[in-house]
Amino acid sequence: MINQELLFLTIITLSLLSLLFLLLLYLMSRKFFDIKKRRKIEEYKNKIYPKVLSIIAEGDLVRGLGFEKKAIKQKAMEELLSKYVKVLEGEEEKKRLSELAAICLQDYYQKRLKSKRWSHRMNALYHIEDFQMTKLQGDVVLLTRKKKISHQESIHILRILASFQFDGLKDLLQNQYHYLSEYDYRSILTRLDQGLFDQFVLSFHKSPTPLKYAILDVIAVKRLIKYRVFAENVFSAYKDEVKLRALKALAEIGCVKDIEPFLELMNSSKWQERMVAAKLIGSIKEEKGIPRLIELLHDPSWWVRSQAGQSINQFPNGKTILQRVLETSKDAYARDMAWDWLHKGV
Amino acid sequence: MFNVQWVDIVSFFGWFIAVYMVIVIVFYSVILIISTIQLRKEYQLDRIQAYEDYMEEFNTRPVSIIVPAFNEEAGIIQSVRSLLSVNYPTYEIIVVNDGSTDQTLKKLIEHYDMKEISRVVRKQVHTKPIKTIYQSSILSNLFLVDKENGGKADALNVGLNFSHYPYFCSLDGDSVLEPDAFLKVMKPIIDSNEEVIASGGSVRIANGCEIKNGHILKIGLSDNPIVVMQIIEYLRAFLMGRIGLSRHNLLLIISGAFGVFSKHWSIEAGGYKTDTVGEDMELVVRIHRLLKERGVNKKIVYVPDPVCWTEVPEDTTILRRQRRRWHRGLFESLWTHRGLTFNPKYGSIGMISFPYFWIVEFLGPIIEFLGYIFMILCLFLGGVYIEFAILLFLLSCLYGSLFSMTAVLLEEWSLTKYPKVSDILKLFLYSLTETIWYRPMTVFWRCEGVWQMLKGDKSWGEMKRKGVSK
Repeated sequence: MINQELLFLTIITLSLLSLLFLLLLYLMSRKFFDIKKRRKIEEYKNKIYPKVLSIIAEGDLVRGLGFEKKAIKQKAMEELLSKYVKVLEGEEEKKRLSELAAICLQDYYQKRLKSKRWSHRMNALYHIEDFQMTKLQGDVVLLTRKKKISHQESIHILRILASFQFDGLKDLLQNQYHYLSEYDYRSILTRLDQGLFDQFVLSFHKSPTPLKYAILDVIAVKRLIKYRVFAENVFSAYKDEVKLRALKALAEIGCVKDIEPFLELMNSSKWQERMVAAKLIGSIKEEKGIPRLIELLHDPSWWVRSQAGQSINQFPNGKTILQRVLETSKDAYARDMAWDWLHKGV
Repeated sequence: MFNVQWVDIVSFFGWFIAVYMVIVIVFYSVILIISTIQLRKEYQLDRIQAYEDYMEEFNTRPVSIIVPAFNEEAGIIQSVRSLLSVNYPTYEIIVVNDGSTDQTLKKLIEHYDMKEISRVVRKQVHTKPIKTIYQSSILSNLFLVDKENGGKADALNVGLNFSHYPYFCSLDGDSVLEPDAFLKVMKPIIDSNEEVIASGGSVRIANGCEIKNGHILKIGLSDNPIVVMQIIEYLRAFLMGRIGLSRHNLLLIISGAFGVFSKHWSIEAGGYKTDTVGEDMELVVRIHRLLKERGVNKKIVYVPDPVCWTEVPEDTTILRRQRRRWHRGLFESLWTHRGLTFNPKYGSIGMISFPYFWIVEFLGPIIEFLGYIFMILCLFLGGVYIEFAILLFLLSCLYGSLFSMTAVLLEEWSLTKYPKVSDILKLFLYSLTETIWYRPMTVFWRCEGVWQMLKGDKSWGEMKRKGVSK
């Protein structure tokens, strides 16, 4: 009995031991080959970078590079181009980089997009967008018809299609991706040019709420003055959060047709509305709003007080007003905020 | 008569240990499998690319960084400097001087040209009184709050009261941040549309690395055996344990060294508790509890990417204090919230997390300690076959190192931080010896922690830092 148990334990011990050594062997050889591969990549990068640079900067012929489609060289090229794409400014250079990427890496990414490994597909997507490889648009569109696809992939596919200004994007979003979050929609919409963005603005009223938020936020962040009237209409037609976002967009754009409703809004019972209204008054520099802004410095909400301070500060005589509040107000919170804005950014 | 009883005890205890071991092995193996699947999926993912999009201001949420400082004159300027170069659109830094008796306050005021400001702080969490508030006249997002001494938790609460932004991050005085640390931990929060309300990342060990001006220049493996053992421990804990637990929202610990929390929920939960030594774990448990009680579907997650490098003890005296303190902290959190254990009302937290932490994390060392004593007694009193004992011992050695090496494997798959082949060999050899010296040692210290607590000893055990940065 005992002997049997001993035997059993010995077998477990030995198998664990061999498993452990296998693991060690795997880890060490992996590290060894990784280091070797890394060295090769670095060597190749050093070799080709002057050439790559002159192709991108001066438009030299790609033929002179003598590029072969081998895994290590493609990896090296990918790394080099990733580095350059972040620092390039000129349109001409960006175009040449895209062309170079298309010549050297296109079929590599084509294959990678079909890879079984999630991380390979993701990396390919990241680079397709970075290098603006528009020739792969067809392959990327095909991916949207795949049945099993992770959320992150879908989002990135849509982002790529947006930055490629893909015509069918609106239909795609409406029919297949109507459940996305505000953040996701926003990251897609910011990549659009005016033409496609117009389509989304036109179908605003039919859009799901997160998409509405995203449209208004993009107008706000990009300060798209062209959509001022649209934002004003949304402001007067909607309630709650959509209204607030429209207001925020108007505040960023910095001009409105009629100021009255916004002066009114500074008396709203919702602190968010008071805050954004104060922001708008500040960015338009509407003198009529100053007395109420001073009152808002005494608001119970920190956000409203802070915004009121900032808005007052935007007026030419803002510093004097704040100084007066600092000296005369009996409210410690208001004095604090005035002090804060008087000393910001010194 | 006595002999019969002894044999009974031996077989009873033998069975007890066997059953316990099986439970623990099952727990660990399940967690290991979950982590492996997760990390394998992200194998070779270009991580920098994944964060790029979050650098735009309008996508991110502003964060208040709270740095509690008690007698940190050696490293405080360095750590603030490393914070100032952090890659994140909007943030403020609040250093809370917890009544230091050294030059911490003076150094900061001089170095960053701090000016006194008058500011009313809304007391959302009760704290010790604030003495003075300063703002840097060079950098308007750097604040210094001077307060009466009240411990780390109290200092964090002051920072919480003072902070302006919807998220805050607690940070140890002497840790070095990765440049993208905030992007990494804020990503799940933004991705989930703020369904995630707290998130933490891996903490790595800075000893042995070359650090200058708050930046890691070269990653290296220390030559100190105690440090190497701790590296193995950290890899195991972070890469296996936390990923596995985080996957199903079972996480009860976000390291005190680096974690981001939603201010709203932390204040709802009552802020940090000042009379425990494990305030970081206690807060996480309390938030979980609050979420379940209110029936809100929010999450606490962990990202496997390393976010911060911290200094660990290099000698046994300090390590001993640290381990005693940790174990006490663990017990205090579990005990305060003992009502959650096996309570179906608290869902998976009550049914899985709590039992796991009680059985594996808390009772583990005590049972192991009893096991060691039992073995020694058996050697004298008989009752056990020596071959049997040796084999079992060998088995536990191998089994332990198998887990450690798998952690190294996960590290290689995901982040690949240690650069040399010899580093792996070194980690392997050390992990083989763990059961012989390091494990019994830490087990003993943790049991000491329990013992101290039973005696009602409340001392803290300060961490002496020599400063990792040059």
